[in-house]
Parts: sequence; C-alpha cells; structure tokens
Amino acid sequence: MKIVKHLSLVIILLVASMGYSQEEKEAREPGHYNNNPFQQLYEEFSTPNQYRSASGAPGPQYYQQQADYVMDIVLDDKNKTLSGFETITYTNNSPDVLEYLWIQLDQNMRSRDSKTPLIQSSGASPMDMAGSFVNKYMGEGFDGGFKIEQVKGANGNNLDYTINRTMMRVEMPENLEPEEKFTFSIKWWYNINDHVNGRGRSGYEEFEDGNRAYIIAQFFPRMAVYNDVEGWQNSQFWGRDEFALAFGDYEVNITVPADHILDGTGELQNRKEIYSKEMMKRYNEAKKSYDKPVIIVTQEEADAASVNFDTNTKTWKFKAKNVRDYAFATSRRFIWDMMAVKTGNSDVMAVSLYPKEGNPLWEDWSTRLVASTLISYSRMTFDYPYPKAISVHAKNQGMEYPMICWNYGRPDEEGNYSERTKYGMFGVIIHEIGHNYFPMIINSDERQWTWMDEGLTTFVQNIAMTDFGEMYPNAIAPNKKYPLRRGTPNSVVGYMSGDQSTIAPIMTKGLNTFNFGSNGYGKPAAGLKILRETIMGRDLFDYSFKVYANRWMFKHPSPEDFFRTMEDASATDLDWFWRGWFYTTNVVDIGVKEVKTYYVTSKMNQQIKNMMAARGMTESDLPPLVYLVEEGSDDFEESMRTATLDDVSTLQEYIMDNIDPEDRAKLKKPSFFYEVTFEKPGGIPMPIIAEYTYSDGSTERITYPAQIWKTSNESVGKVIASDKEITKIVVDPDEETADIDTSNNTWPKRKKLGEFDSFKEKVKG
Amino acid sequence: MGVQYFKIAIFLLIFPLLISSTTHKFYVSTTSVEFVKEKEVIQIITKIFTEDIEQALQARYSPSVSLDSKKETEADVALLKKYLLQKIKIKVNGNPVNLNYIGKEYDVDIAKIYFEIENISELQSIEIENKVLIDMFSEQQNIIHLKMPDNRMSLILDKANPKGVLNFE
Repeated sequence: MKIVKHLSLVIILLVASMGYSQEEKEAREPGHYNNNPFQQLYEEFSTPNQYRSASGAPGPQYYQQQADYVMDIVLDDKNKTLSGFETITYTNNSPDVLEYLWIQLDQNMRSRDSKTPLIQSSGASPMDMAGSFVNKYMGEGFDGGFKIEQVKGANGNNLDYTINRTMMRVEMPENLEPEEKFTFSIKWWYNINDHVNGRGRSGYEEFEDGNRAYIIAQFFPRMAVYNDVEGWQNSQFWGRDEFALAFGDYEVNITVPADHILDGTGELQNRKEIYSKEMMKRYNEAKKSYDKPVIIVTQEEADAASVNFDTNTKTWKFKAKNVRDYAFATSRRFIWDMMAVKTGNSDVMAVSLYPKEGNPLWEDWSTRLVASTLISYSRMTFDYPYPKAISVHAKNQGMEYPMICWNYGRPDEEGNYSERTKYGMFGVIIHEIGHNYFPMIINSDERQWTWMDEGLTTFVQNIAMTDFGEMYPNAIAPNKKYPLRRGTPNSVVGYMSGDQSTIAPIMTKGLNTFNFGSNGYGKPAAGLKILRETIMGRDLFDYSFKVYANRWMFKHPSPEDFFRTMEDASATDLDWFWRGWFYTTNVVDIGVKEVKTYYVTSKMNQQIKNMMAARGMTESDLPPLVYLVEEGSDDFEESMRTATLDDVSTLQEYIMDNIDPEDRAKLKKPSFFYEVTFEKPGGIPMPIIAEYTYSDGSTERITYPAQIWKTSNESVGKVIASDKEITKIVVDPDEETADIDTSNNTWPKRKKLGEFDSFKEKVKG
Repeated sequence: MGVQYFKIAIFLLIFPLLISSTTHKFYVSTTSVEFVKEKEVIQIITKIFTEDIEQALQARYSPSVSLDSKKETEADVALLKKYLLQKIKIKVNGNPVNLNYIGKEYDVDIAKIYFEIENISELQSIEIENKVLIDMFSEQQNIIHLKMPDNRMSLILDKANPKGVLNFE
C-alpha cells in the first residue's frame, strides 16, 4: 500500500510538472520524418571518402591536377589587341584515365555569337550611352572573343578541338593515363574591350590624352578543373560568375610599348634590364621600408612618359609558382609605389599602380591598405606565401586575381573626395587583397559556391578593416572605429526578413540567387561572425578557422570540408547552425513570451488538491511538500508578497531536520520566483542571451545554449529564483544574433522608437 | 501563384547577369515602407548609394551637383528631392498619394531619404513604382520591403518591372 501511495504521488508530481500535456486528441496525426532542427546533416553532406575525410581534411587519396604554363604575350597598344602563344603542360594526378581535356575561353563571352546577351531580359531604355547605342543598334557589335589560330601537340602536329561557347575540348592522340603529362600549345589573339563603357573585369580605360590603362585578366585559354567532386568542371562562363582553376607554375613574358609601366602575378625576372638606375635605387629602398611606401615611378615621370607613344617595345619576364591564374596591368600613365611588410617570417612587397586620377587618395592609402590587409588575413589564416600583392586603380572595378587586383575609388578632378569614395576605396582594396587567401590560395570553386570565397573574405574583411582603423586612426577620423557596413548580424536582418519567394539558401549556386550581394557576401559573413562572437567564442572559432585555412591551402575545398573542419577542430556540433543558416532561408526570432511570478508556501494549492481528491488521497498521505503559487491565481494571497522562505513551515522543518546548523547559514534565500517563457517564432535555433535587470539596477546576463530548443521548437520555460525583484528582461541586448523582429525581445513590452521616428525627432530638433 | 510566380522566378533567376561582370559593385537601392496604423501614416526610408544618386543628378541636371561633401548646396538637395519624387510613385488603395519629404542623412556611402504619407487609416493595397536610377544603370534593382502590423512582403523592381502591387485582402 505504501508503495502504491508513493507511486501515485510520483505520478501526480510528474503530471503537475508536465502541465496536463497528455490531453486527448481528436484525430491521430500522420507520422513524419525526423524534422528536428538539430538533426545531423547526413542527408545533405556527401559521404566522406578516400579523397575527402570525415574530419574535413583532405583524404589519404586526395589529388589535384596541375597545369603549368609558358606564355609569350604581346600587347598591340595601337590596335588594341592582345596576342599570345602558350604552352600548357598538364599533369594527370587523378586515378582516372582522361579521354580529352577541357579549356576555358572566358573571352568568348564577348564574341559576336555569345549567348550571354540572349539570357538577359531587356527593355527599351530612356537613355543610353552613345557608344553602347551604336554597338547595340547601329553596328555589328564589338568583335570580341578568342581567335584561336592553332592548337598543336608537342611534336608540332595539329590537335583536333571543339569549341562549345566559353569552353574548348582538345583531343589528345592517346588517352592520358594517371601520373602522365600532356604538353600542347595554343596560339590566339583577341580585340581588347573598353571596360569603362562596355563593362567587364578586363580591358582598358582610355584617357583624354589618348593613353590607355590596361587591366588584363581572363586573357588566355586556361585549363578547367578536373576533380573528385565534379569530374570536368562544365559550368559555362556567363559573365559574372567567377572561376575554378587548377594550380600550376607560370613563366610569362609580356611585350608592351617600351614606355609602359607594368606589373603582374609573379616575380619579375629581368628587373635590372627593365628598371632605370633610379628606379632600382628606389626599389631597394622600398624593400627596407616597413612603415611607408616608397615611390618607384613618380607622377611627374608618368606624365613625361605619357606624351611620346614610343613604338619600341620591352619584354617583362615573370615567374610565378603555385598560382591558379595570371593577370597584369600596364600603362604609360601608371604611378608606382611599394613598401615592405612582414607576415610571420616572410617578407612581402605591398605594391600599388595608379594613374594620377587616383591621387591624392591612392598615394596616401593604397599600399598601406595592402600591407595592413596582409597582416590581418595572415593572422587569421597563414603567413602570406607569395612575394607580393598589388592593388591597381581601375575605374569602377573591384576584382581579384593572384597577387594582383583592380580597385575603384577616384577623387574628382580637383582631387577632392567624399567619405564614401574614401571608404569605398578602403573597403574594396581590403576585400580584393583579402581574396588572395580565399579563393586564390584556399581555392574553393567560385563558380559553384560564391559564399566560400566572398563570404569568408567578407568575414575576415571586417576584422581587417577594424585592424586598419586601429593602425591608422587618422585615416578614419573623426570615426573612432572603422564603420562596418556588410557582414554584421544587424546588416542582414533586412535581407533575411524579406519576402521568402525572393530569398535563396546560401547553399545555392551564385548565379541562381536573387540577391547576389546579400546571399554570397553579407549573410555568410554575418553567420561566421555569430559563430565566432556568440556561439563558439573567439578561441575555438579562430583555431578551427585556421585549421581549415591550413588544411586547404593550395587545394580545392568543398563546402563540407569547411563545415566538417569547423566542428572537428572545436568539438562543437554545428550541424544545426549550418542547416539553419546555410541550407535554409529560415530566420532568427526569439523573444520573451510571458513572465509569471510565483510565491512559495506550505499551503497546498488547488491544482494539487484536485488531483489528490480525484485519487481519493488526503494531505496526510504525502511527505512534506513546498508549493509554488502563481501571482493572481486563486491560491494567491497578498500576504505571500511579504513572506520569506522562513515562513514556509514545511521547508523550515525539512531544513531543521536535515541540514547542519553551520550549513544552514550558507543556504541562499531567494524570495522571488519567476517562470520566464521564451518564444521562438523564427526557424533557426540560437542561444538565448537573456539580460535580467533587478530592482536595485544591477544586471545579470545568462546565455542559454541553442540546444535549449532541442525538443521544443516553439517555446521554452526557465524558472529563475532570485533574492531581488526582476524589473526587466531583454533578449539579445547587443543585437548579435540577427533577430529579425526585436519587438518581442523586451519584457515588460516596450516600444522602441523606430529608425523613422528617431530621424523625425532629430529633424524637428 | 502559378504563372505569376513562375514569371518572377524566371526574371529573378536571370537578373544577376545584368550586373555584368563587375563583381563587387551592386546597383541596388532598398526602400522600407511601414504602415503605422495607430498614427495613420506610411513611413518610407529609401537607402541609395550616394555615389550612384550623385552620378544620376549630375547626368540629369548639372555636372556640378555634389552630395555629402562641403560642396553640397541647398539647390543640390532640392534636386535630389525633385528627382526622387519624380521616380517614386505610390498609390494607396488605388489612389495616387503625395509623399511628404521629411529629410535626408548620410551614413558612410549611403544616402537615407525619409518620406511620409499621411491620413492612411486602412491599407488594402499599395502600388509602388520605383524607377530610381533605372535611367542611369540598366541593371539597377530597387528592392521594396513592406512592413505591415502583422505582415512583411518584398518586391524587387527593375527596368523590366518598375512597378509592383501588393494586396492585403
């Protein structure tokens, strides 16, 4: 009988604490698959294998192809053409037999039969630039695209080839077996486009004096990637999507007018031949100058060089090791400066090339920005492994290549510039130089996964910008901190809270997203910031991020390699975060639903009384119990407000009988009991960062890990026992989780003055 | 949803191509439109890249127009207001409404312009036409976020579709 009694007591208590959760339902709901947000990503991730390990590291059989190039390039400034003869040595490191090779011909995006214009929707425009009007409606259009003159094997025999738009298939005399090399050559030329009026990442800008500044990229037939994930990369180039390319060594000889200044990927081999004595002297000075740039070619010298249009030529010879692409910039009008920078043990040259139109902004900041960016990104990843990094000023451009990038930011004709021009230039240089790490060295497939290079670069960019502001406070004055614009949790709220029909998950091919900037840059960067600052903490995050960078340095990581490494190196299961933030378009929205105040009493409350009665039991059947009574309920009595735990007789007796006198003094005596219910209208779990304010003005912050939502996806309760009254509760007080609706974040509910009303108040003065 | 949804999906799918090849420069503005029922007003904040809007004003009116600099004049601000009021047209419940210009401020590289529509007690439908910068950049995309007391919706407007209607009944 005793056992039965106790058993029923246990049941009563259990039922009471469950709040009658097992009320009968009218109809049985159908079953379902596991849709818990904390479910592991076994279905989304590919199965680990010999090429890619479950830890996120390259597997024991990981391989990548190698493509080495020897190229002779000639720029015809007068006719605006570029021609080249290149020899490619392709090494098949895969275990597969290759029957053919695929080569990318990006320039064909500009050919007359390009399909790029055909997939663009068009409408009649009210105005058009005269040049583009002529091109569109009056002429045959710009005659762009590669003119392939020959494709030959090493023995000089012609090789068959087929061009499918921006890709070319080359037939080899025999299949290429594993570990074999195949050497062949391509002779080509093309008309260079005007990148200012016609757009494009490569081309020239023409100045009023007839000079041009050439920024040349995607300019030669390049080997497509063959790997264990995709086979031959077969996604065509439509114009905006970037690349997947194989690593290799480059030997490039570039012939340009003798009065041009040129720089490009790799180390200059014939510096003594090319440089004047004066330039050589300045260069040697720059190699030792770690605090400020040294000008190698001055504005006066560039001006003087711009008048003669020399018909002689010079050949600049470069070698680059372990790069996945090549680019260069050349003009008579280039001013050139350099400084040295140390990242770890390596000495690197930070370099800038700019026409005088960029001054005074460029001579003041470009090279310093390059140097400080290398230091910041190296700290987050690895020491910069290349000998130099170049920032080239090109109108309206922001584009990265190995060791070299094009950047916008131009003052007006009198040399004045606004804050926005300045910050635009700072931001783009830091971003593009940062791309040397992602994707130039940690070489993800940009054409598939925009977020892997743009998101990671933008994430580190915010750290680098903050560093730069600290290193050069006068560059950002009167701001005390570098103002961050993109990639912060707050800045993605607008995007994430938008119409679901115009949002794609981050795990979407870049070209197919609705809002490229938010999808590829802002949201992934903000997600990583939340991981670093809120979920993992800087130590665990930074260690794991570094492990990822070092594991995949000079290799081709896939998204899972990143996700897996971040978990593997930190012992943090983040599948729920990847799922919510990267694989879905769910949002974060957590709030305080309600707060109930309870008082403790020894008097049995009505709820328990009813249960007892139903089972024919009386109070004497129970051991001493303590009851919680909700404020305002039937059992509540005003006297409870002033009562203390000492007044609760059952509790007092228990303490007297069971706890030694010296230990009794150590007991806490909370006099306020609350049941706080947090709600989660958003689909993404997130830690609940709750800040409690007490009647004495003090605050306490408690972070409940995201796993608090593991079985209850909509709301969770927490009992808070305190010796002080709670006057206010704020969820996510620093707005660090991208909560899309903060109107439910505060208890008692308080209306925050919105952006509009705050401005209106301000205008009224 | 059928056809309409499909059309939008196709359009949005190909939109990014219009951005041409400059990777990191976006031609985008965002406009948040909020109906505040208790005040009977619609509050509008348009955020545009200052550099883009300045270029448009220079091309349209005078090369001397300057925004967010020491050279900015009251006349320049008047042009900004004139241009925006010309390019943003709103109909509430089927009737054209006036936008009251409240003011503007700059936040680094972005200009924020505030408008208000008064005397709106009920919102059954709103038609928004936003042609801002479409005369300048054919790739310009103007995103509208509408916030109702218990609803949020978005529109992506551009050259091909500069106008959108949202119905709430």
